[in-house]
Amino acid sequence: MDRFFSNKKAIFLFAAPALVLFTLMIFYPLLQVIYGSFFEYKGLNPDIFAWFDNYKRLFQDKLFYTSVKNGLIFAAVITVYQILLATILAFAVSNAKVRGRSFFRVVYFIPVVLSVTVVCQLWLSVFNEQNGLLNRFFEMIGMEYSQGWLSDRHQAIYPISFTNAWQYMGYHFALLLAGIKSIPKSYYEAAKIDGASNFKAHMRITVPLLQETYKFSLIMAVTGGLNAFTQMMIMNSGGPGTATYTLTYMMLRAINKTYEFGYGMSAAVFLVIECLIATIFINKIIAKERIVY
Amino acid sequence: MKKMMKQILAVLLVTVMIVPLAGCGSNGNSTDDNSSSNSDNQVTDTNDNDNNVVEDNNGSEDEVITLKIYAQYSDDDTKIPYDYAVQELAKEYPNVKLELDVQAQDDGQKLQTYAATGKLPDIFQIGLSQINAFKESGNILVLDDYVKSTGFEDKLNEANKNLLYVDDGHAYAFPYAGNEMVLWYYNKALFEQHNVKVPETYDELLEAVEKFNEVDIVPLSVFAKEKWICVALYDAFATRLEPKGVLKLDKGEASAEEPAYVEAATKLQALVEAGLLAKGATNMNYDQSRALFYEGKAAMFLNGQWEIEDSTNALGENADWMWYPTYAENPDAKYAVSGSGAPGGYAVSPYSEHKDLAAEVAAFIALKYAEAKYIYRSNPILAAKIDPSWEPEKEMSPMMQKLVDELDNITSYSVFDWGLSNPKVKVALEDQAQFILTPGYTAEEFTEALDSEMKRIFE
Repeated sequence: MDRFFSNKKAIFLFAAPALVLFTLMIFYPLLQVIYGSFFEYKGLNPDIFAWFDNYKRLFQDKLFYTSVKNGLIFAAVITVYQILLATILAFAVSNAKVRGRSFFRVVYFIPVVLSVTVVCQLWLSVFNEQNGLLNRFFEMIGMEYSQGWLSDRHQAIYPISFTNAWQYMGYHFALLLAGIKSIPKSYYEAAKIDGASNFKAHMRITVPLLQETYKFSLIMAVTGGLNAFTQMMIMNSGGPGTATYTLTYMMLRAINKTYEFGYGMSAAVFLVIECLIATIFINKIIAKERIVY
Repeated sequence: MKKMMKQILAVLLVTVMIVPLAGCGSNGNSTDDNSSSNSDNQVTDTNDNDNNVVEDNNGSEDEVITLKIYAQYSDDDTKIPYDYAVQELAKEYPNVKLELDVQAQDDGQKLQTYAATGKLPDIFQIGLSQINAFKESGNILVLDDYVKSTGFEDKLNEANKNLLYVDDGHAYAFPYAGNEMVLWYYNKALFEQHNVKVPETYDELLEAVEKFNEVDIVPLSVFAKEKWICVALYDAFATRLEPKGVLKLDKGEASAEEPAYVEAATKLQALVEAGLLAKGATNMNYDQSRALFYEGKAAMFLNGQWEIEDSTNALGENADWMWYPTYAENPDAKYAVSGSGAPGGYAVSPYSEHKDLAAEVAAFIALKYAEAKYIYRSNPILAAKIDPSWEPEKEMSPMMQKLVDELDNITSYSVFDWGLSNPKVKVALEDQAQFILTPGYTAEEFTEALDSEMKRIFE
């Protein structure tokens, strides 16, 4: 094994294609975006070097704060819903006493493999203000709680976030369930002998041992939330007005609608920084030390 | 055995890494590379050839040339004219085949992506704000010579020359639609049944809104998920005091704080609060919205005059249109309409391998498209002159006849959303016009947001 890793040239040979790909596909475009964010564009080409003008405008733009706020709400909703529910369901499905575990394992994962468009259309019909299932349900049970789920400028972000949370909960469920299965049963048996309840055993054994999995899930959920775009694009086009815009939507608006490429790129750079900070922060606070029993 | 496993693993690893690289490579034989400037492969049409047979420089006369076209093809009003134009093209240009890429209802985003990635189709439909952006980036062919060489300019109505040339004096697209307008449709039967007067003034409109709400009928159905119709509705009110409506905002000739624009927002907001629109209107698409009108669940409906044919088919004699309600302080604004034409239509990519032919085909398609609109859609509002040989398939509907009779009374046109030339103003207006249709959004918020954005744009 030592000889296998001792040849530096061989290691370079194996790593080079991946490094080249990463540089070409991610690092170089990222540098281009950072570079472009300092320019005013004429057509599709950088024209005037504008120093920090685009960033200055970004921090003065109300839409920027709406977009950041929506990204944070989206991230918070999907993180809480997906990770909390995925944890509860994974605990339940991992319990040998629960009947039909194989069935639930498949059912919870089905939304993940569906097309985003299909899921959005499904929830659009549920949230429809006129004939939607949700408002009709409230009418049926005699509750005056009909809402403009997707047309209320203050609340539309929540049902949109929920749609994403509902679809991808199964992904986190699968990750956590796989993690639970890798924990030796003897730990739980020892806890049982010591008189621990199922809940206590999960809190003291499962959760600490799944720290790495939780860290990954959290990073995926938070950065996914900050990057959110598809659901609002399909469900209400970022509307009403700009009420459900996120930074990604704002970037698209600047590039495809107002043709302010430099400004759009400055929003993109901020988004990258925001995701980096979130990732570093999560890395710092979760799973600082590897727990081994 | 262990060593062999390592070797197998190493080979597999390298293979896995190489496959994506191979996938990224381009096919050297691809004929779709728009940036190709190899003059040897250039294909030119023979203008002096009676049969319009295209000949390339290699002399192969029978070669079928495929042109990619990005065009509207979503309902009868776009499918029937397009299919007719393609059918006629097959007769005139037997060796030209069109490959249709259906235009997305996405405010030109897909087209913009095509331009950014160098994948523009040979021919594409385009509106004014995008023409302005494309000409800056060199993504649109100047058609000045082609409008003359194809005889297109001579076939246009003199009054429609504004549809051909943009402010810089150049032509960038072959138009087919004439000076169109926003019409305020209504269901006569519903008004009669519920004893509601067809509103001619703002106060009567407010009264009609209240009466229809009492009987659970949506007063006005608007597919406000599409932002252009939100702008059209706002513009219909703005033109009550300022005949040029949002056109003046677009040119920077007026401020959002001027009475015409503030009053339009105030009145519209008051109507929305009174229940003018269906619940969740800003999330309602065209199909949902017109279904409300056609099924008798909505009393009024807003769309362009191109809806005449379909609404006649759906509601028969019960369908009619009215002038937009006026304000008491300015009843003379009755004949000021929202809409009109703007340069736009079929444009050509400067990177097209067959750009001369594409320009000729684009001109041909635009003319045939207009012809089909007259023959099969009974629509006389066209960019092209109406040829006496064109025989409409059926008589003009009463609504269209009424429109034709009233055309001379129109005192002014403003502009459609897609005719706005400043993309920044267009986007700001679209956002605010949709916001003002949501309950709770005040006219002050509207004015403040639009005004600050306009100050930034024009300063």
